[in-house]
Amino acid sequence: MTLQMIKFGSILNSRPAGREAVLRAKQILNGFTDNEVQLDFSSVEVLTPSFADEFIKGLKNEYLDKKVTFMEFEKNVVIKETLDLLNFI
Amino acid sequence: MILDFQKCYGVDNIFNKDCVDLSPYSFIHPWPLVMMLLKFIKNLPSQSLSLVLPKDASTKAYLKRIHLDEMFEKIGCQKEHDLFSKITMSDRDNLNIQPLILCKYRDEFNAKLEYFLKMFRSFGLSEEDSQRATAVIGELGNNVFDHNLGNWPTSIVGAIIAGQNYPAYKRIEITIGDPGVGFYESLTKAFPEIKNDMEAIKKGLEGNTGRVGESRGNGLKLIQKLTINNFSGQVMIHSGDGLAIVSKKGIQLSRVHKILGTIAQFVINYN
Repeated sequence: MTLQMIKFGSILNSRPAGREAVLRAKQILNGFTDNEVQLDFSSVEVLTPSFADEFIKGLKNEYLDKKVTFMEFEKNVVIKETLDLLNFI
Repeated sequence: MILDFQKCYGVDNIFNKDCVDLSPYSFIHPWPLVMMLLKFIKNLPSQSLSLVLPKDASTKAYLKRIHLDEMFEKIGCQKEHDLFSKITMSDRDNLNIQPLILCKYRDEFNAKLEYFLKMFRSFGLSEEDSQRATAVIGELGNNVFDHNLGNWPTSIVGAIIAGQNYPAYKRIEITIGDPGVGFYESLTKAFPEIKNDMEAIKKGLEGNTGRVGESRGNGLKLIQKLTINNFSGQVMIHSGDGLAIVSKKGIQLSRVHKILGTIAQFVINYN
């Protein structure tokens, strides 16, 4: 199952926004059976550690048996640096 | 004469007096502008502080163009707002000048991030660097609201943002100030052993958070990493009576005059 992160915004910032995005993602992912949640960062411009920490950790805690992976982030240095800083990649 | 970061400190600094006298200055950097506004907010209850505008007409017009008059009105300083009433300004558009912004609430600040991204592009930063600078400003703003929500010490709340591009020097200064609780009050909840503002700022810069029971603190790490490694820049933080300057040389801490809340600035050097 792939979540298109651009649908949460092009500038992904702040913990409250990250928490709200987890709640929304739960609705979207409701009932899915794949073993993996893919986060597709195509067209996202900025990802800050606050949003990433809240959203990705929140998602991982929600789906302990699933793998959270990332795609289309390599071209954007800020997204890459944020994921790297938080040891997600 | 120019009023810059350095001139905000030392025994003769203009913020040690009951009157902020801008009369000798021909240009005022973002840092002293934000420091001045925080001082006026701190002195609101006593109304003991006064302002003298620069003598130079073009400097006065510049201050009006960055909406300093409106900012005084927003923070409840009507007398200072009225000083600008007879000042006229040319309508010349200068993209290097950015108006002062007060974001009272988090949503207002987040909505401005798109504007900041465009502002950095208009300053001439590359796409990558514009995104980096927006991430830095986003994290600085997050700190303002994360650590003061429900606990603002005065009736004036929010983040005051000032910015300036200096194309001749290929340098950008972005300053964010808040009349909040500051690093010390925020961090001593989690680290009661912290003795003063300088120690509190150092602890925060090392990636620690005052939010008890939560795993946080990466925002300031990213700010330092991007500003220093990618922009060969500097991060300055003044909170309470502590001042930290972070550069490639490391963290330089000093004890200075006490302010209400916190001022943080990142300096970008670009090609």
